[in-house]
Amino acid sequence: MIITLAWRNIWRNKMRSLVIIASVTAGLLAGIAILALYKGMMKSRIRTVIDTETGHLQIHAIGFTADLDPALFISHQEDITRSLSANQNIEAYTTRTITAGMVSTPSGSAGVSIMGIDPVEESRVSGLSKKMREGKMQWAGQTKGILIGKKLAKKLKLALGEKLVITMTDTADNLVAAAFRIQGIYQSANAPLDEVNVYVSRKDLQEMLGLKTQVHEIAIKLKTDEWLEEQLLQLQHAYPRLSIESWKTLSPETSMMAETVDTLSYIILIIILVALSFGIMNTMMMSILERRHEIGMMMALGMNRIKLLLLIMTETFFLTITGIPIAMLIGRIAANYYEKKGMDLSGMGRDMMESFGFETMIYPSYPADKMGFIILLVFCTALVSSILPIIKSLRMDPVSALQK
Amino acid sequence: METTVIDAHNISKTYDPKGIPVTAIRNVHMHISKGEFVALVGPSGSGKTTLLNMIGGLDHPDSGQIIVNGTDITALGQKGLVKFRLHNIGFVFQAFNLIPVLTAKENAEFIMLLQKEKKAKRDERIDLLFNQVGLMDKKNIRPAQLSGGQQQRVAVVRALASKPQFVLADEPTANLDSASAFNLLDMMAKLNKEENMTFIFSTHDQRVIERARRVITLVDGQIVSDQQ
Repeated sequence: MIITLAWRNIWRNKMRSLVIIASVTAGLLAGIAILALYKGMMKSRIRTVIDTETGHLQIHAIGFTADLDPALFISHQEDITRSLSANQNIEAYTTRTITAGMVSTPSGSAGVSIMGIDPVEESRVSGLSKKMREGKMQWAGQTKGILIGKKLAKKLKLALGEKLVITMTDTADNLVAAAFRIQGIYQSANAPLDEVNVYVSRKDLQEMLGLKTQVHEIAIKLKTDEWLEEQLLQLQHAYPRLSIESWKTLSPETSMMAETVDTLSYIILIIILVALSFGIMNTMMMSILERRHEIGMMMALGMNRIKLLLLIMTETFFLTITGIPIAMLIGRIAANYYEKKGMDLSGMGRDMMESFGFETMIYPSYPADKMGFIILLVFCTALVSSILPIIKSLRMDPVSALQK
Repeated sequence: METTVIDAHNISKTYDPKGIPVTAIRNVHMHISKGEFVALVGPSGSGKTTLLNMIGGLDHPDSGQIIVNGTDITALGQKGLVKFRLHNIGFVFQAFNLIPVLTAKENAEFIMLLQKEKKAKRDERIDLLFNQVGLMDKKNIRPAQLSGGQQQRVAVVRALASKPQFVLADEPTANLDSASAFNLLDMMAKLNKEENMTFIFSTHDQRVIERARRVITLVDGQIVSDQQ
């Protein structure tokens, strides 16, 4: 009886109820849109980190990442790479020789991280080859080749084919330098990294550093993201004397950003729902005042306060939750559409997006994993919105309510 | 032997709106037996509605005692009074007071639903009463589509459906035209006879007074006459 009565009561004033249901739907839809957009942005950011920056996992000698000391190379790398090749969960890996150095040109100089790579291995793990804007990811000619980021090229006024000098310290602490010719200019979605990362031939770098075949980094790409934690533990267990980290610790700002964005989107959703709760409360208060006589009559006939409370609460819930399936359906359709088509946010400022490490084409993703929490928030909104109307109705005295 | 339904001893009620005390009921004694058809009459402000409210457990007297079917309702708390009203009293109001979003049948079974009666029992009772009041073809219609007289008949069915100890009707014919009023009175008299149901109604409608078997007259909160 309570449910039938509550459902019919909310349709007494159709226009008023429809306005509130539409408001809840719009508010929820806005919340779902924000969550979908943020989820898409974070998925894109995480993909950028995994595919072009770190891979899923990296292996280093302990202490190497702190100051890029070239003497801290990975020992027994052949054993490790053999084991990685045999691992069914690993899609590909690449070995890198890395050091810090200085790029000098007639127009200026800049501190850089120099990555010695093998282009074939590298293209299997990172998406660097796809980010080439000018030139190619290969070493050709007699002069040593180098790939630099677009931002660094702009900063040092460098163009494809031009030369620059790299200075670094070798494993014996000698200052060594060599000239490199720019064979490619890349542009990733992370502008700050484009300014500091330069890529040279692994062999060239090993020679300059006084290394033979030793490497400083093994970057691993897994077949799926889901195996990250399991593989991390497995490798940490297998190589306790090496530092094995996942992208979450290698790029802590991305991991933190993912958590912050989640919290931020919930805060936005809560603000929307708090604003809506005032509208719902107002509608319910008007409804109660209009039905004062009727509520007094029901109390006179023997309806107790618990049933009255349930009636008002159910009405508020109906008014609030009716919008949920509509918002979910529209949200799902819109998210699916944009997930396929993509949403071009370059209008918001390509440079700004890239400076935060985001692609400008975002593929929003329906936040199905968060819908449970969203529904819970909506239920809480209904509960909070029903408090004042419930108090108002429970305080009614049947005798005075029945008087005209 | 007569069964006492209501026994009111020396009840008084004074209201104090805006600091000026107004005595609505003054030292009233009243005794009503099972199956009576009683009219409470008197001019406006004589205390008819206040007396009905107190008998019906909607209002408390300042002094005195009201015993209904052996229960001292003046000693009951808020919760106890709600339960008492639900199981013992049928109310008929002047303004019909049907719930507009429920059909005639749903309105009629409202009290039985609150009492958690089984559907079969509800259906049987409602059908019987709707037949008796001639509204069988209107039971699935909402109140807005019924005439005033039909709405008041539904209100009477609602009051009687749960077989209360007695029915209190406050000016039941006030909003009805003559034909509807006579119809309603005929129906109430019939139910009073057939179900041995006690009816107490406040009125200053001469048509109602003429049909009553007992007329209690109130003036300034006091019973000035009680005629069979």
